[in-house]
Amino acid sequence: MSQASEPADPEVEMEREIEHDEFDPIGTLVLIAIYFLIISALWIFMYFIEFLGRPTPMVV
Amino acid sequence: MAVFAERYPSDAKVVRMALGSSFVALFLGGLMGLIQALHRTGYLRIIDDSTYYTVLTLHGVALVLLFTIFFLVGFFHWAVVDSLDRTSESTRFTQLWYALMSLGAAMSSVTILGGFVGEVDVSADVLYTFYTPLEAHPLFYAGLAMFLVGTWLAGVDWFRSWYNWKQSHGGERTPLRTFMVLTTMLMWYLATFGVAAAVLVFILPWTLGLVDTVNPLLTRTLFWFFGHPVVYFWLMPVYMLWYVILPKLAGGRLFSDPLARIVFVLFLILSVPTGIHHQYLDPGIAEGFKFLATSNTMFLLLPSLLTAFTVVASLEHGARQRGGTGYVGWLRALPWRKPAFTGMALAGLMFAAAGFSGMVNAGLNLNYLVHNTLWVPGHFHLTVGTAVALSFMASTYWFLPKITGREIFSRRLGLAQVLTWFFGMVLMSNAMHRAGVGGVPRRTADPTYEGVEFTSVLGNINELRLQIALGGVILSLSLVLFFTHLLLSWFDIGTSRQATADSIPPALSGPENAPKVLENLQLWSGIAIVLVLLTYVLPIAAIVSGNGWFGSVEHPAGMVEPIWLLALDIGRQHLAVMV
Amino acid sequence: MEIHRYEKLWFGAALVLIVGFIATVVYGAAGVGISMVDDDGGTIDPNNVTDHPKFEQTGLHEAEGDDADYEASVIARRFIFQGADPLEVPENSVITFYITSPDVVHGFKIVDTNANTMVIPGQVTEMTVEFDEPGEYGILCSEFCGAGHENMAGQLTVVPEEEWGGLGGDS
Repeated sequence: MSQASEPADPEVEMEREIEHDEFDPIGTLVLIAIYFLIISALWIFMYFIEFLGRPTPMVV
Repeated sequence: MAVFAERYPSDAKVVRMALGSSFVALFLGGLMGLIQALHRTGYLRIIDDSTYYTVLTLHGVALVLLFTIFFLVGFFHWAVVDSLDRTSESTRFTQLWYALMSLGAAMSSVTILGGFVGEVDVSADVLYTFYTPLEAHPLFYAGLAMFLVGTWLAGVDWFRSWYNWKQSHGGERTPLRTFMVLTTMLMWYLATFGVAAAVLVFILPWTLGLVDTVNPLLTRTLFWFFGHPVVYFWLMPVYMLWYVILPKLAGGRLFSDPLARIVFVLFLILSVPTGIHHQYLDPGIAEGFKFLATSNTMFLLLPSLLTAFTVVASLEHGARQRGGTGYVGWLRALPWRKPAFTGMALAGLMFAAAGFSGMVNAGLNLNYLVHNTLWVPGHFHLTVGTAVALSFMASTYWFLPKITGREIFSRRLGLAQVLTWFFGMVLMSNAMHRAGVGGVPRRTADPTYEGVEFTSVLGNINELRLQIALGGVILSLSLVLFFTHLLLSWFDIGTSRQATADSIPPALSGPENAPKVLENLQLWSGIAIVLVLLTYVLPIAAIVSGNGWFGSVEHPAGMVEPIWLLALDIGRQHLAVMV
Repeated sequence: MEIHRYEKLWFGAALVLIVGFIATVVYGAAGVGISMVDDDGGTIDPNNVTDHPKFEQTGLHEAEGDDADYEASVIARRFIFQGADPLEVPENSVITFYITSPDVVHGFKIVDTNANTMVIPGQVTEMTVEFDEPGEYGILCSEFCGAGHENMAGQLTVVPEEEWGGLGGDS
């Protein structure tokens, strides 16, 4: 296992170090909320408009 | 500390060979893809319609089985050796599994290539799903079986290293990368049981004439028992790349090590009992079993959705450490000039889109809309064709120096390559999805029919046709860039700069926060097996009680009975006499 | 083990998505009445398909029960759809299809509809669909079945009610 003490990547210029407890991934929350809305809308479109709008095998 | 290639030269050599095989398959499969994209859209036809299916078989087998699996065994071998910090227990054994895989791959590939040569009676125009009673030369199935056995032994190799590592590291948590490899391999052992049974018990004896008939629904069900989890076999190494390498390239740290472990355990448990969702429209399987597959598959979304959060959060961590600010403004602070980073991040973005089309595929009755249309290859060109293929290619820019000891040739060239792949696939796969909703079928040399007009609210069919062809050309261009770059970097032609060693930073929330029970691989394997039994015993019992284990389908009329290679023919007669 | 509150939030949202997807397909089955192709068609001897009562004659015939108006028997074989080339049905009729294959696996897809199924030797596919819109619908083989697969097609013609001459009539 690689040692944690040496630089992870010598090329990365680091401005500050942020630890777990001081990190609030608000940007991630924003992106993932957008994703949630997009797939919900697409699902409704695919199921209720594209799919249910056509003749479909039915229970008789 | 020295790079991997210097610390573990014999292991690095096997990793290089595995990657080499992988890229040969990528080249072959990619070339076939170009021929197909131009043929089925009608822009350029250099082959007959009947040869199209030879091309398609090679495209499928070379890319989804050989390219992906050769790459991942190489990558896994590195992951185990590097994270346990010990060379493989026996170099001979490592070479043995690689040799078995290579020999098997060569056997199957040669058989498929036989389809191009009319004079020899060896072919395998059965596509990579080889649904019986389509029939390939026995060498095709034997090669696949040998390839599989090779991957099984690779798993044995890694479990052996881990077992011995534990003897001297009692009480320590298994390093994350090794944990990921082991859970993936356990899933693989379970998954390959299906295809091994299909090939060894039913299909090979039938093609060799030892049994007369076959049950197509049974072999098909056994194929999909394997056919869905195999996608997780490709995907889990990609998840490893996204969890372990991507945050580091972004200048951050993995957000949560325990969560990564939970995700891999969920994949071990849920990957296999989902295969019936490929058979929603099959007769002979009751609706209740199909619904069970739906709910299992939908819950399998969970580890992927959790991964989306954890990986993006790890990137955000890197971006903020590099000075990024704002709700979305931090995205600008990511290292977009690094080809390895950009390629893997774009692959992840495409996987998010693939997630949606996968949800549609999994949606039981909704499957009527898209089943066997171009939507489906549209979907898996985003998953295996981008999430996996682009991540593998992009990670090569980071990974190759580790195993050759030399830096790559040019970042700019690498960046151009990953971007062209991304744009090519955006064109091709979005058009395939939309054409599929319009009803255009997959797996055909010529999707035009007299009096049939495909219409889609999602786009004009001619425009979609053009996008598919154009996408295929751009993707081929990307492959040309990739192989050029690879040759320049690999063989000391364009670069001789020594690679610098780097390390993988620890996770923000480390393994010590993971519940101990996660290490109990027996427990998780046990649960996985129980779930598989619950999902598969009853449908398989129903199929067998309907048509019998060996069915009643002979070698169908109209199928040209191949004159096998003489030696094989004699062998078969001997065997038949003995049986 | 610590989990960030945003991550817990997303975990909840992911469960909502999953449950929402499952709820949608359950609504499709129980609310709308969509039926999956299943084992209702039973099995068949693939070497003697015409011995099966449903396949003594291909094409359209009166339905046996009250569930559908007509039954259509189709034998999918390399590289034709026997009984569906073309198949004429009146508009607003409920048709139960019986489809089987004496050779290899085929697909049966009626373009512009959700009538889409696999045809597997040894199995009988049973599928009931109502056709409201008069018109011509292409039928395609949607699974690779050998060299020539790309030519395997049939046709369904939904005839306007006033032009329908009955079974065997001229329309």
